[in-house]
Amino acid sequence: MNGNRAAGITAALVRDTFREAFARKIFLGFYGLSTLLILFFLFLLKIDVVEGARATVTLFGQTSGRLRDVEALVRGFQAGVATFLYTWGMALAVFASAGLIPTVLEAGRIDLLISKPVRRAHLLLGRYLGNLLVVALNVGYVVFGVWAILGWKTGVWRTEFLSAILTTTFIFAVLLSVIVLVSVLFESPAVSVMTVFGMMLLSPILAQTRLMERLLPSEWSRDLWKALYYVFPKVYDVGRMTLELVNGRAAGSLMPLWTSALFTLAILGAGLWLFARRDY
Amino acid sequence: MTPAIQTYELTKVYRARWRRREIRAVDGVSLRVERGTTFGLLGPNGAGKTTFVKLLLSVVHPTRGRAEIFGRDARIPEARRPVGYLPENHRFPGYLTGAAMLDFFGALSGMPARDRKRRIPELLERVGLAQWADVRLKKYSKGMLQRLGLAQALLHSPSLLILDEPSDGVDPVGRIQIREILRELENQGVTIFLNSHMLSEVELFCREVAILHRGRVALTGPVRELTAGRGYKLTAAAPPEGLIDELRAKAASCAASNGFVEFLFPDREVLNEAIDRLRAHRCPIESIVRTTSTLEQVFVRTLEGRGEDG
Repeated sequence: MNGNRAAGITAALVRDTFREAFARKIFLGFYGLSTLLILFFLFLLKIDVVEGARATVTLFGQTSGRLRDVEALVRGFQAGVATFLYTWGMALAVFASAGLIPTVLEAGRIDLLISKPVRRAHLLLGRYLGNLLVVALNVGYVVFGVWAILGWKTGVWRTEFLSAILTTTFIFAVLLSVIVLVSVLFESPAVSVMTVFGMMLLSPILAQTRLMERLLPSEWSRDLWKALYYVFPKVYDVGRMTLELVNGRAAGSLMPLWTSALFTLAILGAGLWLFARRDY
Repeated sequence: MTPAIQTYELTKVYRARWRRREIRAVDGVSLRVERGTTFGLLGPNGAGKTTFVKLLLSVVHPTRGRAEIFGRDARIPEARRPVGYLPENHRFPGYLTGAAMLDFFGALSGMPARDRKRRIPELLERVGLAQWADVRLKKYSKGMLQRLGLAQALLHSPSLLILDEPSDGVDPVGRIQIREILRELENQGVTIFLNSHMLSEVELFCREVAILHRGRVALTGPVRELTAGRGYKLTAAAPPEGLIDELRAKAASCAASNGFVEFLFPDREVLNEAIDRLRAHRCPIESIVRTTSTLEQVFVRTLEGRGEDG
């Protein structure tokens, strides 16, 4: 297959995912909520910069009399938005996206897709990419929108906040790979959502490695804990990393990123392998 | 010249997940479908027809054996490039319009955008859905979806068309329209592989057939040969009683009505003997007709025979 043809097929698969996301009102939900958040910063939050680097904040018409450091104020808002996006936004994205993969695996739809001269892996990866782009564009829209409004209102243009687009999209890509594998295995959006939420909840628990070293009695149980920590995606650690970056501090060890990336490759690889072998 | 489809001992065994039970959906099927022909695959429900089609398109993986499309292993995606396929019980995405659906599947077939732009209105017109191009598929009736499915299969001008129950849910006028389109394609040299339980449709349209029964090929051959040459019907006017008894012994069947007696003779030799005997008795012969079977009769006879064997 030549490059142009492959690109054309990928574009068609991505476009189809976007169309389905529109039809299922996923776009409306995502962009509606995101727009509300942007409008909040645009109209309900008033920041009056006085004395150059200090400002007062007015929220819902109520003014706080205290003068605050403008840069710290903007940093605080941005950290709040990044945390909100990383937790609640991510949960919403998982919930909304979980149906987009199993629908293409429905009988009567998948057989026609497979009958086309396209590798099965290409079909699934096209859908994965489309789903990822739906969420990435929304994350970009919120972060960029809030960044632009805060910058316009205060004159503080902190580019560190924009790193939240990359880290949030990255962790969604990790979780989406789990949705792909579970969808191929069970063809059920509900099981996909439960599995991913389970991983999101498990992550902060597994991340307590130092505490567990003290609490766990045997060597093998401590090793098992560590192994599980390294194997599973580090949703919690990447979240902390996001906050550090948004606050303008060093991200620290890159281990959570590369182990999560390896996890994604392995899980996505397993999903593609199973998909290539299944009968429909 | 390589055939359009060739299968070698193609077998698909399904295994129940928790039990040891095996279901042989397709069992050692070796078929050859020549280029440019119209081929009908027949069989009762559960005979393995749809599984066979899915094996051809790599939707299902064979347990044993292999399939080739125009000489290429059917498992290779490129081998499916010259194939147009209309599945049974298709589920086209309801959020797409007719034109968008064709555009999507055309892109997956590797058609450049400019070709799709040209072909889509042409085909929508051809299947009578031009006015429905921008309507979402969830508003389409079953028959309209079937016609759109056919347009989808034809979009990239395939050399091999595999249709699984193409007339399902289509009204008689639509059926005639589909048959006309297929006839046109046949004249253009497109190989058409029809999987249908509608025997009259297959008899009208196909040149060759195979009958699948319990996953195996029970009978295969040209429709004309399978339905022809079953015997001769001779009608004689009032032959004497003794002669009727004599000829009845040689005939497959004998029936009398309104002074005429009808004999059904199994072959030409017996027929000629009977003519000689009738002429010797100066008995008038009203008519002699060569009888044929319908495909339905061939189908029933084949299944009955296999049922007795099995």
